[in-house]
Amino acid sequence: MVAVQPGQRVAEVTASQSQRVEAQCYQAHAAPPLGSLVRIGSPPVYAVVLEVRHEPLDPTRPLTPRGADLETEDEVYAANPQLSAILTTRFTAAIVGYHDGAGICAGLPSLPPDLHSFVFLGDAGDLTVFGNDFGWLRLLLYERSPASDTAIANLLRQAANTRTDSRGFLLNAGKALATELSGDPPRMRALLRKVGR
Amino acid sequence: MMLADGFGGNGASPAQARRLGQVVGGSLSRGLDVRLDGYGASAEDVAVGSFVTIQGRRQRYFAVVTDVELRAVDDGVRHFPPAFSTGAADAGDFTAEVIAGTLAYGQLSVMPSMAVPVGSSPNGTAEQAKTIPEHFAPVYAASQADIDAVFRAQDGDFALGSPQGMETSLVRLDLAALANRSVGVFGASGTGKTFLARMLLAGLVKQTPAVSLVFDMESEYGWQGQDNDRGRQVKGLKQLFPSRVVTFTLDEASSRRRGATPDGVVSIGYNEVEPADIEVLRESLNLSEVAASTSWNVARHYRENWLREFMALSAADVGDLAGEIGVNLSALQTLHRRLLSWERFGFLAENGQGSASAGGIIEQLERGNHVVLEFGQYGRNTAAYVLVSNLLTRRIHETWVRRKESADGGHGDEPRPLVIFVEEAHKFLTPDIASQTIFGAIARELRKYNVTLMIVDQRPSGIDSEVMSQLGTRLSCALNDDRDMNAVLMGARDAGQLRNVLSRLDSKQQALVFGHAVPMPVVVRPRDYDEAFYADMGAVSGVSVAGVMGETEAERMQREIDELFPPE
Repeated sequence: MVAVQPGQRVAEVTASQSQRVEAQCYQAHAAPPLGSLVRIGSPPVYAVVLEVRHEPLDPTRPLTPRGADLETEDEVYAANPQLSAILTTRFTAAIVGYHDGAGICAGLPSLPPDLHSFVFLGDAGDLTVFGNDFGWLRLLLYERSPASDTAIANLLRQAANTRTDSRGFLLNAGKALATELSGDPPRMRALLRKVGR
Repeated sequence: MMLADGFGGNGASPAQARRLGQVVGGSLSRGLDVRLDGYGASAEDVAVGSFVTIQGRRQRYFAVVTDVELRAVDDGVRHFPPAFSTGAADAGDFTAEVIAGTLAYGQLSVMPSMAVPVGSSPNGTAEQAKTIPEHFAPVYAASQADIDAVFRAQDGDFALGSPQGMETSLVRLDLAALANRSVGVFGASGTGKTFLARMLLAGLVKQTPAVSLVFDMESEYGWQGQDNDRGRQVKGLKQLFPSRVVTFTLDEASSRRRGATPDGVVSIGYNEVEPADIEVLRESLNLSEVAASTSWNVARHYRENWLREFMALSAADVGDLAGEIGVNLSALQTLHRRLLSWERFGFLAENGQGSASAGGIIEQLERGNHVVLEFGQYGRNTAAYVLVSNLLTRRIHETWVRRKESADGGHGDEPRPLVIFVEEAHKFLTPDIASQTIFGAIARELRKYNVTLMIVDQRPSGIDSEVMSQLGTRLSCALNDDRDMNAVLMGARDAGQLRNVLSRLDSKQQALVFGHAVPMPVVVRPRDYDEAFYADMGAVSGVSVAGVMGETEAERMQREIDELFPPE
């Protein structure tokens, strides 16, 4: 795993549609973590990482184990330098907002980001702007998977960390979540537990 | 939405007031549902009986909280509740804190009573609400300025106390309206209804042209009363208003023992008691219907002085009489036995002093003086109380009816408005005798003859419902019995909602007031009956007045000197 820094360019868009974006990282294993806010292209479109996949570059050539006789995982890469060229990391992000020329809006842009748009890991400024309006939560809640709920919790906690009143922010966010999920109390509880942990 | 400057105008505007929630449903008849906001408004903060304002689009409403309820959007919350959060940061359960105010929330039932148009002048008068605000209108805790505006000071108003939870505001009674219709003061014993009644009487004396006649059962209103909770003496009406209150007594010795100097002693002639009085006393004397009705036969037989002659009979004579007038022997014997106990009534006089007594009282009332009739030892005897109050009231009422009819015919002035004050009203306003007593008649005829009642009672359920429904203003301290609560609210608008408020009154020093004298139902903490109240009533602190009518301070001193050192 390679850590990426806020504001760092990490990937390029390889496929996009109105609701989500597929991106491939410049470096294998250097992906924005689940729940990261990413900024894509210009004018920026904002998306939240919902799924990260480490995989072979060519799906027709599955990987095979290579370290049966080696001591450590690092030795696997050292003994097979070609791996860095045949492995890649891809991720899927759900679009949650965009810049409409005047400011950032929660919601979907009229067109998805262009292919090969640069993808940056969102910084504290991006997180602050997005925290003020919980309209984006609804878009994420449409995704129904354990990964998407973890992503929501991670994002809220990151956003909270950029604020002085982080508990107040989490309570507000929790209330927005509770309102959205009033019809699904078990999911709401599981999610609130993650957020409040 | 435009934010008006509120009922008070110069007071708190909604922008400054504490927001509680918003209207989410309801109706004018059953009240509005107000969902409490998730933040800042806990169900624990809103007491039943407190005031709120609702900012409508065109009107601003003033409402009373009649119920508080906990609700949940989903049953899951009820079945699997999160751990309780005390609300302290990082101390409580996050889930519980989030759910509180969102999926689980508090809801108020509020009864809109008054409304003012948005943007009206600060002096704009609040009127009865005939509309309700739209959905989602914001609701605020009422400010002091709001309360002051609704209970705005006007001439003749009387500060009764402060509304629940707002100790610095004043609830004012319109005493003129109060005296215009009959009044009921209710409450279980020890809830403070005597203090409340005494304050109302003091207000009547001070601020209205009406006069009152107080049948003072326990001798607590005239000279001085007892504050049992604080173990102190409090001033009675005579001490507060020496020149406007006259005390009469049935039991002179008792009055003197208590240090009071009554202005007159009342006695009732045997010949003044009528069989109708016996009928009224049926319950107090524990007489059967037959026994009570034999009094008519006895009266027909002896005519004028029937009671004295009947009481003078020996047991054997009673037997003869039964045969002579053709009534049931045992019924007549029972009646005789019961009436014999009246021998102990020192106020019953051989010859008719009663007319003179009633005349003396009427004279004082016509002069504009308030009269307190102390019962002394006889106050403990219900029969004596009912007998005397019924009899005197009948005479006084007759006079008032005559005067009123003369005035209507262009002869003489209208009689002064008269408020007759009776305690233990359920003893003589029960459904079966209310129609026979003068009090029942007064209650029913409203103020046709300028006479109204102020009844003080702890068992309003015992009072005839027709009489109850004629009460213009009702003040009720806490009651314990469901039937009593229902009786107090009988015929009242919004009775169903007020029921909740009434049942939640503190056991002391809280009263629900509704009816003609207040613009809207209000829970009041009556002001203290203390030096400040005395001062408001214009009494001079520390002055003891040994009651002689119309006496100046200098005359009083001279009289006391003369009493101590009689002139040669």
